[in-house]
Parts: sequence; C-alpha cells; structure tokens
Amino acid sequence: MSATRNKRPLDAGHAAYLALNALLLTFLLAPIAIVLVFALNPTPYISFPPVGVSLRWFGKFFAGTEFMNALWLSLWVASVVLVLSILIGGACALALARGNLPGRAFLTAFFMSPLMLPAILTGLALFQAYLLSGIGRPVWGLILAHTLVAVPYVIRTTLAVLHNFDRRIEEAAAVLGASPARVFFEVTLPLIRPGVFAGGVFAFIVSFDQFPVSLFLVVPKGETLPVVLFNYMKFDLDGAIAAASMVSILLALSVVLVLERLIGLKAYVKL
Amino acid sequence: MTSAAIRLEQVTKTFDSRVVAVDAVTLDIAAGEFFSLLGPSGCGKTTSLRIIAGFEHPDSGRVHVGGRDITDLPVHRRDMGMVFQSYALFPHRTVAENVAFGLRMREVPKSEIARRVQAALSQVALTGLEDRKPSQLSGGQQQRVALARALVVEPPVLLCDEPLGALDRKLRQQMQFELKELQKRLGVTLVFVTHDQEEALAMSDRIAVMNKGRVEQVGSPTEIYERPRTRFVADFIGEINILEEAGVARALRPEKIRLMPPGGARLAGKVETANYLGGSTLLRVRAADGRSMLVRETHVGERASRAPGDAVGLTWNDHDAVALEG
Repeated sequence: MSATRNKRPLDAGHAAYLALNALLLTFLLAPIAIVLVFALNPTPYISFPPVGVSLRWFGKFFAGTEFMNALWLSLWVASVVLVLSILIGGACALALARGNLPGRAFLTAFFMSPLMLPAILTGLALFQAYLLSGIGRPVWGLILAHTLVAVPYVIRTTLAVLHNFDRRIEEAAAVLGASPARVFFEVTLPLIRPGVFAGGVFAFIVSFDQFPVSLFLVVPKGETLPVVLFNYMKFDLDGAIAAASMVSILLALSVVLVLERLIGLKAYVKL
Repeated sequence: MTSAAIRLEQVTKTFDSRVVAVDAVTLDIAAGEFFSLLGPSGCGKTTSLRIIAGFEHPDSGRVHVGGRDITDLPVHRRDMGMVFQSYALFPHRTVAENVAFGLRMREVPKSEIARRVQAALSQVALTGLEDRKPSQLSGGQQQRVALARALVVEPPVLLCDEPLGALDRKLRQQMQFELKELQKRLGVTLVFVTHDQEEALAMSDRIAVMNKGRVEQVGSPTEIYERPRTRFVADFIGEINILEEAGVARALRPEKIRLMPPGGARLAGKVETANYLGGSTLLRVRAADGRSMLVRETHVGERASRAPGDAVGLTWNDHDAVALEG
C-alpha cells in the first residue's frame, strides 16, 4: 500500500524565509568563525587569508600568568555574581509578583533601571562612590557592582515564569496540608527554578564579559579577563587575543550547556 | 471514612471594599450530603467554597465544620480535600507523587503511603499510570488523579470547584455517575460548585441556588425544579413560563402544559416555532393576547403532533402553576 504524500510546494515566500534565516545565522556566527580562524593562524599578526593551523596562541594564552590570573578571577567573580543575583533577583521577583506592594510598577522599573543606564556610567558612579566613602576597590566591591548589573536579568526571567504561574497549584498543596513554607519549597520553588536559573546564566555571562563597569573598579594585578585583554590589545594585536576570545566563548557556552543539562532550560524556553 | 457537617453562619465577603461577593449567607450542610452551590458566574458560589476551604477569610460570619469553629484556622490545618476545575496537579511530579503529597504532609510512614496511593489509584481506575507526568494524561485522567489526590487523605469534607467543567459532554456524564457513586460509598460530605443546572439536578442531595451573593433557595432537586420559590430560581433552572395573574407571578414548566383543540382551552394560540429535541419537542406558542408560551410535548409517535402555523389550545392544572415570591 502506498500513500501519496502531499509535498509542500517550495514557493517564493518560503524560499525568502529560508534565505533570511540563513542570512541571520551567518551574521550571528561569522564573527565567531573569524575569531576562530585568527586563533588558529600561526602568523604573529592578524592577517587574512590564514597560512596554517596551530595551537601556538592558545599555548601563549594558557602559559601567560597574567592571563591565567585574570581568567580565574573572572570565573570566580562571575560564579559569586551568579549565586548572589539568583538569590537577590529571585527574591525581588517574588516580592514584585506576589507582594501586593504599593507602587509595584514603579518598583519594577526601579529594579530594572541598571539595564537602562549605560554601564560606563554605572562604573564611573560606583568608582566615585567607593572612593569618596573610603571603600577603595576591593574584590567584593567589584562583585557587588557586577551583581547590580546582573540582577535585572534574573528578575525579568523569574517574573516571566511567575506571570504564567497557576496559583491554584499552590492552593492545592495548601489544602493537602502543606504549610506556607512547605508550599514554597515543594511547589513554588521547583516550578520557578527554570526561570531563575535562566536569569542566572545571563548573570554569569554579564559578569564574565563585563568590561565598562570593571574598567573603573579593578586594581593593578587584580584585573578581570576583559580588562587584561583590553590592556594587552593596546600594545600587541596577535592571535593570543583571538585564542582568549575563543576560550571565553567556550566557557560561556559550557555554562549554558551544564545548566541546561542540570535543570532543563527548555522548560523555560517553552513559556 | 468519617464525614462532617458544615455550617456557614451569616458569612459576608466583600472584595475591594465595594463588590459584595457573598452577602450574609447561612447554610447548613449535613454530614455525608452531596450539596451543590448552583448559580451563574459571579453569584458567589465559588467565593463561598473558597471561604469553606480557607482561601478567603470572611469579613463577618463564622464557618463551622464538624461542630468546630474553623473561621480563623489556616488552610493547611483544615483537613479537607479539594478538586479544582483546572485540576491544579503538580506538573513537576508523577501521578503517584501527586497522590502521595497529602500523606507526605501528614507524615504517614512510607510503606503505608505506597499502599494507600495504590488503593486510591485503583479506586479511580488509574492503576498502571503511577509514573506518568500530568502532562502525559488526558483531561479525564487528570481529573481522576485530582480526585484520588484529594480523597487519599480521607478528608471528612470534599470541595469541588466545577470539577467536570473542562470535560466533554459524554465524559462529563460518566464522571457524574462515578463521582456520585464514590461519594455515596465513602460517605464524605461533598460541596459541589457548578453553573450547570442539569449537573446539579442529577447529582445533588440538596442544592442551594445563589444569585448576587445571596442564597435564593435551598432544597432537593425536585423541590428546586418543581417548586421554585423565586422568579430567579424558576428562570435559572430549565425552561419556564411566568404567568402574571392578579398581581401574582406564577411559574409553569413547559411539560406541565397539555395541548388540546382551541375551543374550551385556558389559552388559545398559534404555534410559532417547533424545536425538535429528540425525545420531545419544544413549541413556542403565541397566544391570542400576545403572550408567548413554551410547551414541551413528549413524543408518542415519531414527532410532535403540531407544526408551526397550527392553531392550538393550552391547558394545565392549577397546582402546577407555582406562585413566586417577589
């Protein structure tokens, strides 16, 4: 028995749709491809076309103490920022969505405001505030500054999940004998977790890639990777920069993949 | 299973200090009774149920269950079962975990939980689906999980907020039978909120018809249908003719009217439309004085004996025309 299948005719509209998609993907991925080409090209300066494939720039990057110190500092700072912004942002979002607070719209806009301010102004303002109040430029000051910029991402993703939340599910748990605290840990938290962690991924990346805020708040010998790369580029423009960029990209990607595996960001993306 | 009587005493609830959702409602629901709160949306039936459950706190009035005043008791200490219209299953837990939840909250030993979850699932014919997630179940199956989850803790009171509203007609009818059977077998006091009058008539021991936050009438399905007390009750349940005679409004069901030749009838008129309903036909008759009357003719043969345009006479017994208050 053979069933005739209706083939969708490839009309002009569909072709244009595919072409547009291809164009967008190229636009998004081409810079990464170029970085990869430069990172693998052994010439001591950035040039095109590449003359070969070598890992010498990756070697130089991983051998450089300054690079490595900066990389570890950036990873460490970003990890702390991830935890802090999940706690603060998650709590803020819950309060905004559930708290029956007066002036809720204003408060939401207020907590989102770090997103609207140019980061360079945030950095400058914090730099001045820290110096005037005699705090100086400790690492925790840098972490707080990154957290300030990262928290809105967590608030936004968590609010999105809370917006679609069926509160009858919490009521069902309460009728079945769950105290408010148990309702929170047994029902609310598991159900908003994907949104909170999706925000956490953004927070990690925002901190790990942070340049304008960090520029003002790092001290010599205590610089994060983007600042070190910027300083390096002022004098040398070789493949080590490209190699460092590749490492950054891969690290960010792996954070996303690990979190996806652990808690399933797909559940959030579906919303 | 134990069951408890419920008493609402002059319960009032106002939202936003303007909208009166429940207005001085007093209800006595007997232990083991299947009791329906029936009315259109916004009549206060759901708010009343939520007050019994403890989700809403009444502005004034008291709630008693099993002789105990529970007005100020938080939801999680009321020991009730509830089934929601949206089922409200825990989407991140399996069927077995959903059903086990209430037992876990009561710190029942693990081995007993497993046994009782099995028993509850077999009671609603869901054995074998323990490890599914709610999203992998059909609407009817989710309904049963919600029922099992509520009943497994053996609550003295089961609250149902339009639990069958999301099911299609055939399945809803089947669940009506099953729910009623289950309720009788367990002896649990069941408070059932619905806007579907047929459902309320079919399932309830007693019905409270609500309108604008007030109880219009409480009674058995027969009383509510045959002897409506107010115009609202008469109008809300089934088809009705309202006759105004000497300043008194009387309600007359279409099936109480008999068709006869026009001569000597109480009312003479002409058939305007005839709606064929399978077992019966609903005729709209325009009387000579301009009134429009609904007449239900149960078929003896294949179809109604009258067709649009026919001249007919209508008659009925005096005691079938029920005097209404107000």
